[in-house]
Amino acid sequence: MKKNKFFLFIIIFLLALIIPFTHVKAASDNYLQKVKDKGTLVVGTSADYPPYEFTAKENGKTKYVGLDISIAERFAKDIGVKLKIRNMNFDSLLVALETHKIDMVIAGMNPTPERKTSVAFSKIYYTGNQYMLINKSDAARFKKIKDFKGQTIGAQTGSLQYSLVKQQMKGNDVKGLAKLNDLVIALQSHKVNAVAMEEATAKAFAENNRNLKVINPGFDIDASQTGSAIGFSKGADSLVTAANKTIDEIKKDNLINKKYIPAAAKNMTANSKKKSMMNYWTYFAKGIEYTLIITVVSVFFGFVLGTLFALMRLSRSKFVHGLAVSYIEFVRGTPLMVQVMFVYFGVGAVIQSLPALVAGIIAVSLNSAAYVAEVIRSGIESIPSGQTEASRSLGMSQKETYRYIIIPQALKNIWPALGNEFVTLIKESSIVSIIGVTDLMYQMQLVQSATYKGVIPIFITMVIYFLMTFGLSKVLGYFEGKMKHA
Amino acid sequence: MPNLIEVQNLGKSFGDNEVLKNINESVKKGQVICVIGPSGSGKSTFLRCLNVLETPSTGKVLFEGNSLTGISESELNNLREKMGMVFQSFNLFPNMNVIENIKLAPLRVKKISDTEATQRAKELLERVGLADKAEQYPQSLSGGQQQRVAIARALAMNPEVMLFDEPTSALDPEMVGEVLKVMQDLAESGMTMVVVTHEMGFAKEVADEIWFMADGSIQEKGTPETFFKTPKTERAQDFLSKILN
Ligand SMILES: Nc1ncnc2c1ncn2[C@@H]1O[C@H](COP(=O)(O)OP(=O)(O)OP(=O)(O)O)[C@@H](O)[C@H]1O
Ligand SMILES: [Mg+2]
Repeated sequence: MKKNKFFLFIIIFLLALIIPFTHVKAASDNYLQKVKDKGTLVVGTSADYPPYEFTAKENGKTKYVGLDISIAERFAKDIGVKLKIRNMNFDSLLVALETHKIDMVIAGMNPTPERKTSVAFSKIYYTGNQYMLINKSDAARFKKIKDFKGQTIGAQTGSLQYSLVKQQMKGNDVKGLAKLNDLVIALQSHKVNAVAMEEATAKAFAENNRNLKVINPGFDIDASQTGSAIGFSKGADSLVTAANKTIDEIKKDNLINKKYIPAAAKNMTANSKKKSMMNYWTYFAKGIEYTLIITVVSVFFGFVLGTLFALMRLSRSKFVHGLAVSYIEFVRGTPLMVQVMFVYFGVGAVIQSLPALVAGIIAVSLNSAAYVAEVIRSGIESIPSGQTEASRSLGMSQKETYRYIIIPQALKNIWPALGNEFVTLIKESSIVSIIGVTDLMYQMQLVQSATYKGVIPIFITMVIYFLMTFGLSKVLGYFEGKMKHA
Repeated sequence: MPNLIEVQNLGKSFGDNEVLKNINESVKKGQVICVIGPSGSGKSTFLRCLNVLETPSTGKVLFEGNSLTGISESELNNLREKMGMVFQSFNLFPNMNVIENIKLAPLRVKKISDTEATQRAKELLERVGLADKAEQYPQSLSGGQQQRVAIARALAMNPEVMLFDEPTSALDPEMVGEVLKVMQDLAESGMTMVVVTHEMGFAKEVADEIWFMADGSIQEKGTPETFFKTPKTERAQDFLSKILN
């Protein structure tokens, strides 16, 4: 009986997961018109890939820059709409496109045959070579592909370079990471011996770090696969046509080489001149702000929902009880990271305008609610039954009994555990960075790509997280002490 | 005198364990009943069935002619208001001080004004001899004091009947007297009372009627004089000889 209900719940949950993806194809191609109606072109990118896309600071403000961004700006202007950049992991870009979170992808992306099955690509707007970034100390050892026998090669997951290494360096281990910055850290700490990278990007890293060097290992390259193109939803032919027109014009004037790359280079040198972390304190400050917003809001909703689930779990109705138990067990049995992605991409496919911040808060709140529910339930169950009996014998209702007798006592008992959940959320909320919420973790990655420094931003971020959690523990401890004396 | 409480064919089982068997009794207004009997005979269960803290498995409990079973929660709450209960383990609310404990139900259930509730609570504390403890928290009181607060708390709802479940069993011997004294005063003021107790002295002196319970049913009942001098059943004789020696 109970089992059946649990199964039903799972099935409904799975359906909810599938349905959003089943009706995304529009009957006729009105993609261009839709973008024009909205007045904004939402562009997905992965801004740690100079000179294609990266961040720079201008008058104290963080800006997305690079040749891809310049092209996107030009395209938006050509079709007469505003441009909005959504920054996320390279891995997440195609999912975001499929679920219509973004209108197009421009991220130095190569139109490979595999990608073409799910994405409509524009013409190729730029072709770069595939290089390798190595430690300067290894320059004598590593020159060509064959020199790397038995070595570990790093590459960005989901990238062309990753498949190149897989196919053409069969004897090597490939280490895939989502962020180029992390790969470069891995290179510097000799976790990998080389990182496969697009030419311009590799050169940018080498230019900004004396200990790194660029080589051309001689990958066997099919020209059609190395060029970069703009990706659109399958069937968005009107957008593809419009983009091709823009690309033709850009090519005619040779704008990429004459204007966009020089501008990007200027931003890159400007960045590398400001390597002191002090220049980036606003990045960290913004990250702290978002981390705190997410945590505080999630703690609040997590608590409210958690109380609700705890009461549902204690309900005498088998159905209500089963519902709460299923929810709590399901959420506790799945990783927060998956939940965050599910809310953003899954639920976000139904509600198109769901911002990443809201999705992140929803996911973290829902996750926290399950844990808080268990804390509250144990708190409620720890109150002796004599308390309920005394209250009920006075004519107080079940509700009044909970409100005046049980909950106040339970809260006092579980205050330390709730405080702990608060502290935990500060740390756990860092996962929302994967969907592009500008929390502390995300800002750290921005600072990494802006400064070409891997470890120092990590260290600073770590210290900031510690100060936040430690400070909060102290504050909570103070109130806990007060409550004990009450 | 009309029947305040009527028990008809009352039975209670916990799973296979039949704890109460076909009890038919009544309590008249103003009566003081002492329920005595061996441990595990079902005295607490019986008392808790009277205000439906335990739901009877069979039979009925009537209060002022109204059935306490098969009614809505709010109707039950309205009837419970009139039946005060005092527990062996006091069960004061530790998150409130003494006067808040007493005022809570009058404020929340009867919805009287705070001034009125405070006034009444103070009178009751006076009556149980604890006027000076109003602002203290239960944890800082002795067992005897806590139990007297619990009695005052139940009285604050102006109940028609008071149910006591071994109110002095958890107390140190030197504190038993102060609680029994309060109960005796209450009985003398005309309160209807059903008291489960092992205090035979109290039962002899205060009770109008003794109900002797064993194996889940009332085996024998009578005035204290006849019951204690000439118990009729063998179970009662046995029980009395054990506790009096
Ligand atoms: N909630 C319950 N669930 C299961 N069995 C119970 C429950 N409450 C009481 N019982 C059983 O019912 C029987 C009678 O218990 P009850 O507490 O009414 O006896 P009592 O006469 O009050 O005893 P004592 O003098 O020890 O307080 C015992 O066998 C007890 O184990
Ligand atoms: Mg008992």
